[in-house]
Amino acid sequence: MEMDRESGKSEQIVSQFRSKILHVILDSRVPSFHHHHQQQESFSLSRVRKTDKWFNLVLGHRPAALENLNFSLRNLLDPVIIDIILVQHGSSSSSVDNICTPSAAAAGFTETVIERWVVQYDCPRVVATPSGADTSGLYKKTYRKSIILLRSVYAQMRLLPAYRIFRQLSSLSQTYNFDLVYKVSSFCHPFTREEEHVMKEYSFVPVEALSGLLCVSVTYRTSLSDFNLEPLVSLPPKIITDYVGSPTTDPMRSFPSSEKGVRATSFPLIGVRPPSSAPLQRPHSWSSGFHRGFPFAQNQSLAGSPPAYSTSPMTYDVASPPSDMYGNRIQNPRLSTLQQVTARDEYQLSPPFSPSPSPSPPTYLSGANPLLSHHRSETAPVTIPRPITGRSSRYLSPNSSDTSRHSLPPLSPRSSKHYASSQESPSGIRSYRKIEALRAGESPSGLSNHYSVHKVVRDSKDDSGRFSGLLSSSGSPRIGFSRSSSRLSFQDDMDDCEFSCPFDVDDVDVSDSLNQTSQNVEGKKASEFTAQAVPVGKKSQDAAVGILVQMLRTAPPLRQDPSCYSTHSIRTEYEGGIGTASGFFMPRKTADALEELKSYREMKDLLVSKSGTQVVRKEEM
Amino acid sequence: MNCEVCQLKELEVEHFEIREVLRCILHTIVFHRALGLVRPKDVDLELFEITYVQCGVVELEKKIDEKIEHFVSWVEKHPNKKSQICISFYEVKSKPPSWFSNKTERLFWEQWYVNLNVTQHPKPHSGKSHHTKVVVDPGESASEERGSRRVALEVSLREVMFQIIKFVNEKKDHVPPISEGVIYFPHEITVPSSSDSAFGMDMIKRMLQTGHPTMLS
Repeated sequence: MEMDRESGKSEQIVSQFRSKILHVILDSRVPSFHHHHQQQESFSLSRVRKTDKWFNLVLGHRPAALENLNFSLRNLLDPVIIDIILVQHGSSSSSVDNICTPSAAAAGFTETVIERWVVQYDCPRVVATPSGADTSGLYKKTYRKSIILLRSVYAQMRLLPAYRIFRQLSSLSQTYNFDLVYKVSSFCHPFTREEEHVMKEYSFVPVEALSGLLCVSVTYRTSLSDFNLEPLVSLPPKIITDYVGSPTTDPMRSFPSSEKGVRATSFPLIGVRPPSSAPLQRPHSWSSGFHRGFPFAQNQSLAGSPPAYSTSPMTYDVASPPSDMYGNRIQNPRLSTLQQVTARDEYQLSPPFSPSPSPSPPTYLSGANPLLSHHRSETAPVTIPRPITGRSSRYLSPNSSDTSRHSLPPLSPRSSKHYASSQESPSGIRSYRKIEALRAGESPSGLSNHYSVHKVVRDSKDDSGRFSGLLSSSGSPRIGFSRSSSRLSFQDDMDDCEFSCPFDVDDVDVSDSLNQTSQNVEGKKASEFTAQAVPVGKKSQDAAVGILVQMLRTAPPLRQDPSCYSTHSIRTEYEGGIGTASGFFMPRKTADALEELKSYREMKDLLVSKSGTQVVRKEEM
Repeated sequence: MNCEVCQLKELEVEHFEIREVLRCILHTIVFHRALGLVRPKDVDLELFEITYVQCGVVELEKKIDEKIEHFVSWVEKHPNKKSQICISFYEVKSKPPSWFSNKTERLFWEQWYVNLNVTQHPKPHSGKSHHTKVVVDPGESASEERGSRRVALEVSLREVMFQIIKFVNEKKDHVPPISEGVIYFPHEITVPSSSDSAFGMDMIKRMLQTGHPTMLS
């Protein structure tokens, strides 16, 4: 009875000792294990758990993985073999005795057992059963000695070489090209001779128990200098306060100024605090190489060395009966950090933002168009087509419905207001449609010669629609409605715009609209157009008028009747009456335009008179 | 009960290294003899890449620091001398009162001797020394020498730590039972006093109290 009680207590001591020493070893060698422990401890500093009271050593929370291990190793007669494995990323170390599993080798990692702890309850087959008096209180001695043994193991773990790299990995300030993992099993492969040469064994004095001896031994590498254990170079994570974005982003977009310069990055990274104190200065760019830096997100993976390898099952993890082998590799979050890092790198290598689908609208379109307002105040309302910012392709190629209503290309939302305000002058819209019609196939004579300006005229056929060319000829910017700097800067983005300005219409996009507008032009009266002044800047206004004139000259006849000849004759007369073609394209004043209007009115009257009713009037006149 | 004695390997230390070395050794010894409920505390040495373990008891830490300061004061008065610090674990036993003794007696069951050779090396930049005619920069050689000494000391200190662990593991039977509520065994730390003779008297006094001869191995 007494013997049974003693035996039971002895076995309980042995069992708890195995659990406790497993906790001590893993907590002192596996960073993720240690971090998990620290996290748990932060919430319960004063609490002493039941497990802590065993052997009077408070270690804190015991992870569930450990409980599972304990359960698997509940057979006291089976040894507990704990391998501490150094996993190194990349080329193998100079050491020749690396254990390289096929899966690890395929993944480019090298594994080396740097420590092996063996905890064994050595029970001889024939146990001399002590007398009852001798056994009384034996478990107390066993327990006391086990406490001392555990203290020794705890202290010695901090003196072995592996503890240094454990501390390095546990540090949150650096990431490394290696990692520490563990394997717990009931049996192990013996070391090779080469391995034994570089390793040293130390056996603790066994503790006598009722039925056997509790033995602990460690085989460890005396030096880890053979391994190329280096920290990974990483940029300290910082926050960019004036992040510009992709090159396609509107450079005119304002951003807060920062006297401290550019900082940081936008990664998740991680907790890691850069060791350097100086802020990282970086240009306003989004180069992919910029944001390497922050490796890990949490979990301790923050700390991390890059993940050793994929967490795919390895030979160690092959399920086996507990009695044969139980290999367990901690689902080390640090192990998966490589995957995390890889994924994060992929994410980081690409710009951390999505390029803006389209440039932001030019600033001059925001708010009231100063040019338009200016012209409203100065001239009669003749609408000049608004610049359109191509937010979407649909703006680039106006559909028939749009052109039926507006001769102008569809406008961006911002400019729609101004366009709406200009609905009062549909003639201006029609004029633009005529421009498009002209571009469809007819080449206005001389227009291209006069309005061709670098970067503006794309081909000869486009000249009629190239108000920008007209504008440029006068020295104004390509867009040309105003000479503000914003326009000038916006011009740089025009190439990226699907539709940059009203006068810079893509041939392809407009060709269809031109065909449509050409049909709509028929029946329209040019005089209605000419009745309107061009509400643009002075010089551009003149140029627009010139274009309108050209439109009229090349416009299809209004009617299939002698009026066509009259149109032609008007043109000829216009040419002869007013001046050479080149004269129309000279900078003209409003007075000149008014004179032209008068001439057009006369033409109109003439046409009407030919219808019969007004002949008499003329004769009368 | 036998009194187990452990003579630790002699360490050659400089004045500024005394505190760290002694803290490391003394706390390691006490940690192995603090069999009550402890929450271990890892402490990294600043001068060496060594981590030792403390019991986490504030009172113990203060007591050890106090004794270390006494020793440092003694070293300042007796430079370049070999010295010993003794930490002795005892049991308190009551005994019948007698004429020259107290009612209680201490039964020392374990003693540790920390042997230190405190050296005073010249500082690197001692250009004003009239004994030397400095030709080449003496600072580099002195610093290199100091560096090599530091490395040697770290190795020796590590050996001392292993020595403690080995001794603790080999000698377990003499350890008395753990008292309820007691974290660590009662002990005393003996440092050289102002004179060597006083230090010797302390040892004799202990011998009279315990009745056990001091075994020097």
